[in-house]
Amino acid sequence: MLENSIDHPPVLNAQDLRRSFGSTTALNGVNLKISLGESLAIMGPSGSGKSTLLHALAGIELPDSGSLILDLPGQARVDLQQLNDKARTKLRRQSFGFVFQAGLLIPELTAEENVAMALMINGTSRQTAMMQAGRVLAALGLAGMEQRRIGQLSGGQMQRVAIARAQVTGAMVVFADEPTGALDSTTGAEVLDVLLACTVGAGKSLVMVTHDPSVAERCDRVVKLSDGNLISDSSRSSSTVGGQAR
Amino acid sequence: MNLLHLAWLLSRPSKARLAPQILTASAYAMVSTILLIVLGGAHSFTSFEGEAQGTYLPLAATAVVLLVVPLLVLGSAAARLSARANDRALSSLRLLGGTGMQIRVVTVIQAAATALAGALVGLVLYLACAPLASLIPFQGAPIGRAIYLPMWIVAVAVFAVVLLSAISAAAGLRKLVISPLAVATRRTVPVPSWVRALITVGSIIVLCLLFLNLGKVTESLAAIIVVILGGFGLGLLALNLVGTYLVSKVGQSKLKKAQTPQQLLAARMILENPTVSWRQVSGVAMASFVAVVGGSGAAMMQQSATDEINHSWYDYLPADILTGVLVTLAITFICVAASSAISQSASTLDRAELYSGLHRLGMPYSTMNSARTESLMIPALTASIGFAIASTALVLPLAGMAVIISPLTVLTVIVAVLLGLALVRVSILVADPQKLLATGE
Repeated sequence: MLENSIDHPPVLNAQDLRRSFGSTTALNGVNLKISLGESLAIMGPSGSGKSTLLHALAGIELPDSGSLILDLPGQARVDLQQLNDKARTKLRRQSFGFVFQAGLLIPELTAEENVAMALMINGTSRQTAMMQAGRVLAALGLAGMEQRRIGQLSGGQMQRVAIARAQVTGAMVVFADEPTGALDSTTGAEVLDVLLACTVGAGKSLVMVTHDPSVAERCDRVVKLSDGNLISDSSRSSSTVGGQAR
Repeated sequence: MNLLHLAWLLSRPSKARLAPQILTASAYAMVSTILLIVLGGAHSFTSFEGEAQGTYLPLAATAVVLLVVPLLVLGSAAARLSARANDRALSSLRLLGGTGMQIRVVTVIQAAATALAGALVGLVLYLACAPLASLIPFQGAPIGRAIYLPMWIVAVAVFAVVLLSAISAAAGLRKLVISPLAVATRRTVPVPSWVRALITVGSIIVLCLLFLNLGKVTESLAAIIVVILGGFGLGLLALNLVGTYLVSKVGQSKLKKAQTPQQLLAARMILENPTVSWRQVSGVAMASFVAVVGGSGAAMMQQSATDEINHSWYDYLPADILTGVLVTLAITFICVAASSAISQSASTLDRAELYSGLHRLGMPYSTMNSARTESLMIPALTASIGFAIASTALVLPLAGMAVIISPLTVLTVIVAVLLGLALVRVSILVADPQKLLATGE
């Protein structure tokens, strides 16, 4: 069993996650606990199972076996494995935030509407949603750009809009898949600063897949995967290998 | 590796491309079946006697010509869908050094091959449907065996479908950018001007005045017919001109009032490119126009018909015109549904990554579907009602209020509008992202 390096209760507890695609094993009995307020980088070579693990932790795709408990403060514990697609979709939009490399912003909408959409889907009125979206965008340095269409924004600005969307619902866990992968180093560093400030800086958890060691070293903890196996788990204060304390 | 080999590699059936391929081939099969049946019906008129033949053949020719436009629209949509369904393969070919021209040729060959397969299926369907179509009465008797066309006409029709599909595929590809990295639809967002609305309203008023004073302008029956037909043609063009403007205005109004995510998304989708929104539903508008004009024409013929039977070909004209109107409407609707389904499928594939990504983020497919539905049904409703009102204004001076409000006209228009909307609604279901993307994965 892996021990967490940060002394916070785990919000996500994955036990013995297994996932195969035909004869390829993407996850081979992965155990992982993620604490509240912790930033975790998932690293590994292509095909090692990084994205599969992120998708499993976020309830996007169910693993073949294992258990995945979500235990958010003030909410009932949930076993994601027991939820159907509809319930997991609802859980994702209410409890998780996402920042992907592609941004996945709706091109027809303005920056403000893209952010507000996350709230409106959860039932917030348009007026309230737009006001909150405007506030979050301004906090992320996008004041004055609320009415711009996505195509009128730079790559870094688009990722800030995506971060604003992940943050506006108050999600306590944010998943990011190569959030700076499509950006130049300077813009990437700026976006990472914003992402960390909005998540860990606000007491939320951040789970991030990255190839970039300089991005990973900004996180509290780094886990490495190889052929679906979790081969190392290191934090700024301690590290473990193969599930055992090192 | 030559182009034909490439075309085969890209177009051979595969599980991932099954849904778009079946959809495209089915559309061509349907159009071919309709074309052959209409040609069969037109061919049967050649057996009529002199004066009747002289009246019926031009009407039949008009119906055949009317088919060419939806066929071109359909072919263009099919080519775009075909390219979208093969986007990765086409992009890979570009990456491997294939020129833009080579890729376009391959795609046109693919579209033509799909059209040929569809046309051959259409031929079989024509033979299967012919016994039913042969029961349609003209001149008081069923068409009968005259529905079966000579072989040479069948061959020409199949060749024409393939040729038109290739031409429209080439035209449709101009709207696609096939780069080594991806295939994308070239977006040009025009800003609809109020001048269009002004021109349309002005044209309708001028045409109404012209129709009101037709007797003073000319007394020649032939000239009157030419003016009326020309006036309707101009009216249709003018209405088509205002379509984009009308749709953008409705979109802006919906954007202001939007309260739910789907309403907001739908309004923005309409405003993203009002021309495309209009094009997708312009067939419904055309159907409304045909319904009002045709329905009024049939009602006028019905009112002018007397109980006295002269035993001449003219006795059957009112009923035959009604039959012709119904057949034309049916053809228009089928083409509208097929074009709409194909355009929607191409659009869904175009946005595949966004749709699946938004689902990962927690947006239910039902929200996306509601937005897609509203973004198409709002322009469809606008087109149907707008065109029905405008064409009524055009017909009123000619037919009079009694004809316009006659049960036959009103019924034809209501049925046409409802059926058109229902078909567009069904076509949206075909392009459901959840089903279409699941097939493609």
